[in-house]
Order: sequence, then C-alpha cells, then structure tokens
Amino acid sequence: MLGRGHIERVAERVWEIPKTFRSDMRVPARLYADEDLLGAALLDNSIVQLVNTATLPGIVKYAIAMPDIHQGYGFPIGGVVATRLPEGVISPGGVGYDINCGVRLLVSLVSVEEVLPYLEDIASRLYSNCPSGVGAHGHLRLNNAELDGVLHEGSCWMLDKGYASREDLDRTEEFGRIPGADAAFVSDRARERGRGQLGTLGAGNHFIEVDRVAEVYDDATAARLRIYSGNIAVQIHCGSRGLGHQICEDYVSRFQKTAQDYRIELPDRELVCAPFNSKEGQEYFCAMACAANFAFANRQLLAHMIRQSFEEVLAGKIKDFDLRQVYDIAHNMAKVEEHNVGGCSVRVCVHRKGATRAFGPGSSVLPDDLRDLGQPVLIPGSMGTASYVLIGTKGAMEETFGSTCHGAGRVMSRARAKKMVRGTALRDQLKSRGILICAGSMSGLAEEAPAAYKDVAQVVDVVHKLGIGRKIARLEPVAVIKG
Amino acid sequence: MKGFEEIDHTADRAFRVTGRDMVALLKNATRAMQALDGLPPPTEASATREIEVEGIDRETLLVNWLNEILFLEQAHRLVCTDFQIFECKNHHVRGRVETSEAEHRLTHIKAVTFHNLTVREIPEGLEAEIVVDV
Repeated sequence: MLGRGHIERVAERVWEIPKTFRSDMRVPARLYADEDLLGAALLDNSIVQLVNTATLPGIVKYAIAMPDIHQGYGFPIGGVVATRLPEGVISPGGVGYDINCGVRLLVSLVSVEEVLPYLEDIASRLYSNCPSGVGAHGHLRLNNAELDGVLHEGSCWMLDKGYASREDLDRTEEFGRIPGADAAFVSDRARERGRGQLGTLGAGNHFIEVDRVAEVYDDATAARLRIYSGNIAVQIHCGSRGLGHQICEDYVSRFQKTAQDYRIELPDRELVCAPFNSKEGQEYFCAMACAANFAFANRQLLAHMIRQSFEEVLAGKIKDFDLRQVYDIAHNMAKVEEHNVGGCSVRVCVHRKGATRAFGPGSSVLPDDLRDLGQPVLIPGSMGTASYVLIGTKGAMEETFGSTCHGAGRVMSRARAKKMVRGTALRDQLKSRGILICAGSMSGLAEEAPAAYKDVAQVVDVVHKLGIGRKIARLEPVAVIKG
Repeated sequence: MKGFEEIDHTADRAFRVTGRDMVALLKNATRAMQALDGLPPPTEASATREIEVEGIDRETLLVNWLNEILFLEQAHRLVCTDFQIFECKNHHVRGRVETSEAEHRLTHIKAVTFHNLTVREIPEGLEAEIVVDV
C-alpha cells in the first residue's frame, strides 16, 4: 500500500517516489503538486497508477504526474511518460480511448456586453448545430475516399473543403496534421464508428463553452494572442469520437498478446505496449495518427459550425464578431519529440495522458509568429468555473518533456456526484450565476458538477509557480453546451 | 441474484460482477454495463444477430464480448435486449443477441478497459472488476 510516508519532497511542489519503492520501477516517479493536491491524489489509486507507468520499458528520467492527477485506467490522468527511441515502447492504453482529446480556443473582438442580449439564441443555435452524445452523428457523411482524406490530412482536408483558414492551421498543434498516419491500419469497425461523427461533440466532460475574458495577467502576450479583457471567447473540448475509441480498443486488445510475445511484464494489462519500432508499435502509431487527425478535423468542423452559429444570430446586429483561433492543443497523445535527457538530445516517444504539450519560446515546431513567445496552452476548468490560457516555458522543456497540466482534475466519482447533485438544480443554480446551460442529459450534467473537480485555479497556480506554464489570462463561462 | 454492483472510480465507471461460470459472468457483465449506461428498459426485439468472440484468456474474452455489445449499440444504434450463449469454451464464445432500435438514446460508455482486470475464482464461481471509459 502506497502512503504519504513513501513520498519524498525533493523541492517546493515537487514530490518523488524513489525507484527503490518497487522492484519493477525503472525510474523514479515525480508528482508536481502543492500539499493539498498531493493529499487529493492520495485519496484514490492515481499514485499507484503513476508508479505502474514507471515500469514501462525504455522510460527515461521520471514517470511524471501533473497537479490535476486523478485515477484513470492504466496511466493516471495527468500522466506523462517519455520512452527512449528506438528501443522504448509505445502504449495504446497510455494514450487512452479518446485519442487527441483536446481543446480549441477562439476569440473575438466584441465584448460580452454587446453579445449578452443574443446569448440565449447563440447557445440554442450552438446546441442544434453541434450534435452531442456518444453516438451522435454530424452533418457530414463521408465516403471511403473522403474519410481516408480526413485520416491522412486532418485539418488540412478541412482547409481544402472550405471549413478552415490557413490561420486556423497555423494555430493548431502540429498544424492540424500528424505525419505518419496510414489508414491501412485502421479497422473497418473504427471507420464505421467514426464515419458519421465528424463535427460532433460527444458526451462525458466534452463541451462547447462561451466565455468572457475575465482577467489578463500579461497584457503584451495576451495582445499577441488577441485576448483582451471583457471580450467573448469560445472553447471546444472534444476528441476523435468513436473512431478513436475503436482504434484504442483494437490495439489494446491485440497488444494483450503482443506484450507477451515481446516478454514485456507489466503490473496492469491496460499498460500493454510494444517496442516503438516494432511492426506492431508502428502499426499502432500509424492508426493513432489517423485518429489524431480525425480529432483535429472534428474540432475544426465544430469551429466552423460555431462561427456559422454566431453568423446566423449576430449578422446585421453587431460588427466584428469574427472568431479567430488562439490555438488548438491535444491532451491524449503519443508523439515523437527531441528532448534533453542528462545533457544529451534524445529522441523519445512522449505519452501525454491528460497532459498538455507546453513548448517554450524558440521551439522550431511553433509557427513563425509564436516562436519567440512559446506555445499557447489551454486549461479548461470544470463546468461553471474558470479556464486559463497559459504559455509554454523553458522550465517545462527542462523539467517535464515540454508538458503541463490539462484541467482541474476530478476528485469525486461520477456515481457519487450523481447521488449528491441533481442536474436540474445545478442547471438552475448556474443560471442564477449568469451561466446558461444546454445539456442533452441531466444525469450527465450532474456527473460534471463543479464539486466533483479540484479547484482549477489551485492547479494552474502550481504549474505557474513551478515555471512549467505561465499564466496569461483567465476566462469565465457565460454559456455551456454539453453532451 | 443481480450479479453485479457499481464500485467507486474517480474519472470513469467501474463494476464488480460475479457468475457461477463464464457464461453467467458474460451475461451479468453485459447487464451491468447496460445498467451503468442508463439504457431504457428492454422493449420487444426487432432483430437478432449472431455474434462470435474470442480471446487469449478469460479476461480478453470478457472484454472483447462487452466491446462487441458496445459496438452494436453505438455503431448500429441498437439495444441488446436479450442474448443466448450457445457455446463458450477455449476462450471462444458464440451466441445470439436480440436487438431493438434506439435512435435517440444517449450512451456514455466509450470502451471497456483491461485496467487491473483478473477473472478470479471464488466459492460461488467467478468474479471480476471492470473499469469502463466514459
């Protein structure tokens, strides 16, 4: 049993479980948290899950957990693991079922006050134009060739079809297209599940949220991102839908035998993996890249539908309501990156499971106009609470493989939240605070109650103080659309 | 006997399931998953489908079976109202499910995981704890 006594404080807000804690650990495990958040992490099995990830073959430096860590399956949510290539492994369960679940932020130059009289219309138009629910189908029905196009090209396919601008792509992680995608390694079932789901939100914690920029911490940086206090912003949180779920399921199931074939012993079957450069590892990576591209395209189409919804409601009423993209980030992904390990530049496969890439200034993978600034990082809060815009830092590059937290992090089970909170009461309570809610399921709404989550401000404060992300702005919700 | 109970899980959903043998375990696990998913009460079946699933051990058989049911529900928008298992041996199962259409149903489960999954032998038969991703 792992308890507080097994965890060493190595610096302020940095905690370590030494490699000697368990004989199968290949590296120490590190958790970034304050005392409170460490206490919250000890309430469930998340730290045991973190220790389990330290057993993955090829792992370098540490198994890492962010302050929003909570219990998932296989990896903890908030986990980061980098494996040295070519011998290190890739783990489908380490990426999770919602491959490239991520967040996109759009901002406008109009103020909330100007939009407020039309907010109910906007919310109901968003709800009808952006289908939600796990099995929901969208407006685009793709034939096989078109689906291949999406899987290989991601947001670039959307640009060709008129659903994206060049600027949208420049402001998307990997420019909206992960290289190496090969649809030959995507099953017919995954295609069937995903084919009609482009432009849909899904369920669970996915949402579209209309926000007000409540506070700016760094005017100069915020202005570079077109973020101004009092203005309207829109966040999209969703992923690769049934296509990604099926791809993960296919490979986690197949890798049950693959891991045995490579004689990889693991403490949890959800961590099954294969050497990155093996046939099986490469096939998963090609399929995962397809799902990642599908997710980029999905958020792109949703952005298009959101812009259309604003147009339908606001055209002729107010001016300059264009929604321009700040950035789009992934938080469930395995990516090949170069990082400094022990003074040497090393090629690694970075698994981020509920963690955000947060590359600092100077990174060659950022677009020209952001390179001196660093990568925008989008941290959504729980429903009805604040969200944050951060910027990537040198500290994240040195400490956490260019990664930071991804949200508030749950602290209460869905079952318990449903027992404690009534969806309709929560909706009315939020409405009284000036937050409109459109939701397909009242019990689903109750599961996502703010009380089920940690305080996002506290989580963001930890990464800011640690220097693995720098606060730029805070957003407050005015309307939430949920599956 | 209900054969299942929900257990606490922070981010997702989880249940403990028992059965006197593998067939009962599969049946009870299916009912547990459907109960967690908030499915409407069974209605009259409109079609039947033959399904066949295999695994390399009891755990993979259990997960693959549940994922098969989930696939039918999500890709084809069907509710599995009843099912019969004709054969279950050597980590291979063959059966038939009765289905009805559920066009407007919202489902929440994305996939069935292998997280810490072990099918254990207990005095009453078999027991497993299953985490599903929502």
